[in-house]
Amino acid sequence: MYTILICDDDRDIVSALDIYLTSEGYQTLKAYNGKEAVRAAETHEIHLILMDIMMPELDGIRATAKLREGSNVPIILLTAKSEDTDKILGLNIGADDYITKPFNPLEVIARVKSQLRRYTALGGAEKGPGLITAGPIAMDDGAKVVTVDGEPINLTPIEYNILKLLLSHPGQVFSSAQIYEQVWNDPAYGSENTVAVHIRHLREKIEINPAEPRYLKVVWGLGYKIEKGT
Amino acid sequence: MKKLQGNIIAKVCVWIVLLAAAFGAGVFGVRAVLSFQSVVYDSWQYSGRFYSALEDRRRELADGIYLSQRLEWLEKKVEDGTANAVILADIEALRESRTSIEKRFSRDSTWFRFCLTETGTGELMGTNLAEGESMLRTVKNINRTILELTEESWADYGYYVDDYDYAPNDLPGAEGGDAEVQPVKLVLEYGVPEKIASVEIQDEFYQIWQTYENDRVFFDQYLTGFLNLGALALLALICLLWTAGHRAGEEGVVATWQEKIWFDLYAAAVITAIVALAACTIWATERLYWGQSYAVRGEDFDTFFNLGLMGAAALFTAGVGCGALLLRTLAVRLKAGCLAKTTLLCRVVTWMVRTIHDFIRFLPFTWRLVVGFGAYVIFSFWLIAVGRYDGAFMLMYFCLQLALLLFLSWWAYGYHRLRKGTKTIAGGDLEHQIDTRRMPYDLRLQAEDLNNISVGLSTAVDEKMKSERFKAELITNVSHDLKTPLTSIINYVNLLKSTEQTDPKAAEYIEVLDRKSQRLKKLTEDLVEASKASTGVLSVTREKIGMSQLIDQASAEWEEKLNDRKLTLVTTLPEGETWVYADGRHLWRVIDNLLSNCAKYAMEGTRVYLDLERGKGQVALSVKNISRDPLNVPAERLMERFVRGEEPRSTEGSGLGLSIARSLTELQGGSFDLAVDGDLFKAIVTLPQAN
Repeated sequence: MYTILICDDDRDIVSALDIYLTSEGYQTLKAYNGKEAVRAAETHEIHLILMDIMMPELDGIRATAKLREGSNVPIILLTAKSEDTDKILGLNIGADDYITKPFNPLEVIARVKSQLRRYTALGGAEKGPGLITAGPIAMDDGAKVVTVDGEPINLTPIEYNILKLLLSHPGQVFSSAQIYEQVWNDPAYGSENTVAVHIRHLREKIEINPAEPRYLKVVWGLGYKIEKGT
Repeated sequence: MKKLQGNIIAKVCVWIVLLAAAFGAGVFGVRAVLSFQSVVYDSWQYSGRFYSALEDRRRELADGIYLSQRLEWLEKKVEDGTANAVILADIEALRESRTSIEKRFSRDSTWFRFCLTETGTGELMGTNLAEGESMLRTVKNINRTILELTEESWADYGYYVDDYDYAPNDLPGAEGGDAEVQPVKLVLEYGVPEKIASVEIQDEFYQIWQTYENDRVFFDQYLTGFLNLGALALLALICLLWTAGHRAGEEGVVATWQEKIWFDLYAAAVITAIVALAACTIWATERLYWGQSYAVRGEDFDTFFNLGLMGAAALFTAGVGCGALLLRTLAVRLKAGCLAKTTLLCRVVTWMVRTIHDFIRFLPFTWRLVVGFGAYVIFSFWLIAVGRYDGAFMLMYFCLQLALLLFLSWWAYGYHRLRKGTKTIAGGDLEHQIDTRRMPYDLRLQAEDLNNISVGLSTAVDEKMKSERFKAELITNVSHDLKTPLTSIINYVNLLKSTEQTDPKAAEYIEVLDRKSQRLKKLTEDLVEASKASTGVLSVTREKIGMSQLIDQASAEWEEKLNDRKLTLVTTLPEGETWVYADGRHLWRVIDNLLSNCAKYAMEGTRVYLDLERGKGQVALSVKNISRDPLNVPAERLMERFVRGEEPRSTEGSGLGLSIARSLTELQGGSFDLAVDGDLFKAIVTLPQAN
């Protein structure tokens, strides 16, 4: 039984999230501004925090910074700000993920689950030889198994090879042609189109919201990469 | 101190002290000057006064000699019996005169000693020396003169000749003398004893000697008195200058009517007065000097002398007063800082300089250059023409060239500074102000204009930035305020959907709510994005990206969705990668919007063409499709916000897609065009090609 702290100055949003999370079997705590959230985190054992950014008294960014002083509990930011700078600031300050408003409840639950799995499984996954990880993605090259947050996913051999290439070079951008040459072992003659399609499928399997990928990112006009360090 | 400075009584006192001290100093000064000669000469007989008195005595004596010769001649006539009544009367008068002269030159009434001998015979003609007294012993400084006596000479006039006067034949009485008479030559030795032993004989020599003795005794006192009082007067003058221009109850320096007079005129008048007063003082002193030797001492003389002294001192005081007035007004003008302004000469010169200066400034730059160069050429030619090619000429020529070099360097340095400043401003530092100090006039004008421009620009930029920030904040806040309730709506509609509805219609209504709330979400997102894109709030990070790669990625994203709508995507790419400078995310949004449009509005079963062309440094991406509904609006209108190809607004689009696409393209430095040909819809994105 995990306890999730929901913090938003809009009470309706808090209660809607409360309904969703309770129905998923989580225990919830409610807070309506940053200060309350910080206080609740001090007095209760909390496994995850959903935090709005624009709040009175103490905004989400500052509250996150304050919480991070003594805890590494997963924090997911709920933000109406779609500015990239806000997301980057939030993630830099110690938030683990973000969801932009207006959000899809299913996405919220998926992200909550993902974060909880990672938080609780931390240290459980041993790093053996041939195990490549990036964020929640773990690839056991020996067993040819890929897991996301511990859940195995089914990949075609080509998808597997593409993922392997990207995972072994985190942060590096590969163009379609490069990926084609490396995976198919053939010179690329305008047949890279297939690479893009494969990656889209791959993304749909890995990402919670393929339109807003967190791990397997599209670098528009340049290629694809696996996000480094998450 | 300040109070004292402005105190009128103190001022009057200072004036009185100054004038009194000046008067005293004048008295002592005059006396000191009068006695100065006595101190300088070792003997009282060296003074001009003595020589003058001696000379007078000699003349008197010579006259007496002539007079007695004439008397003898007349008496001879009486003896001859040729005398008439007139001659007898003459004789009577002459005798009286001779008696008085004899009395004047007697040993008992004067210190003057003389001895008259005939040259030829050495016969003693007359003396006032005592028996057995020698001239040499009595008188140290013996003066000698020769008198020539002719019959004619004493007949009418008492002419005499000495070593420097008239030649004998010039004598007017010697005309037509048929009986040539050999003139009698007499030697006159005369002088005054060095020491005047007794006070019994009181003649002018006694006076001169006594004055000399007194002078020697009192000179030190006179000088001391003069110096002390002079110092006091100087002190008073300093006080006066210190208080000058201050007035009780008034701040700062107060100018009086005196300061209204042109300083140079005032100074000229005062200096003229001082010169005149000084001349008068000198004249009076001279009078006194000579007066001391002539007059016989007595109460009358003392009164005259004292009056004369007072007069001289008064003149001196007046001179000092004038000087003090001049210094005072000078001090006031200096304190008020208006000396130059109240000097006529200065004003005239300033005016002339300014006029010439203004005239030169008024000339256009080109003309000034021509005039300056002309002056330089003329001056050089003049130098060469008059030059004697010696050291001075070479030095002058060198100086001229050096001056030219310095002038040009000054200009060049000014230009360099101007250039540097301009570069800094052009580099984006709008706050930069060019230092215009010691810059040539023309460059300074330029620099000042630039400074003004930079100030204006930076104000404009500041304002623009402020408004940008305001816009960005507004959009963020509106976005937040719209999205927050929308989040609730979507979430609760979602919750409603999961509840059991008894009324079958309720499920239908919820479905409508769900659809519309999703559409509202899309609209809101598009609206925020459109505002951001069109106001330029979005940050653009341009980098080199591959168009083929991007189109590849885009078609991968859209191919399936288009296929679902029975649309076929046909991509035409040129050989190799086509690079452009653009922001990948924004460019993706442009293509995304265009393909989304196709998905929404293209006729089912048709093809969507995605073509990439390059040429002339431009890269053009075109998206073509056949519209499902007739496009009854012109292409331009389609790019406006909320305008869509078909009238009924039943479809899912927000009408913002093309508008966003255009704004984003323009943000990246590209252009966005639409073409409508019947049902053919064509969008072209043109971007500059990168190498």
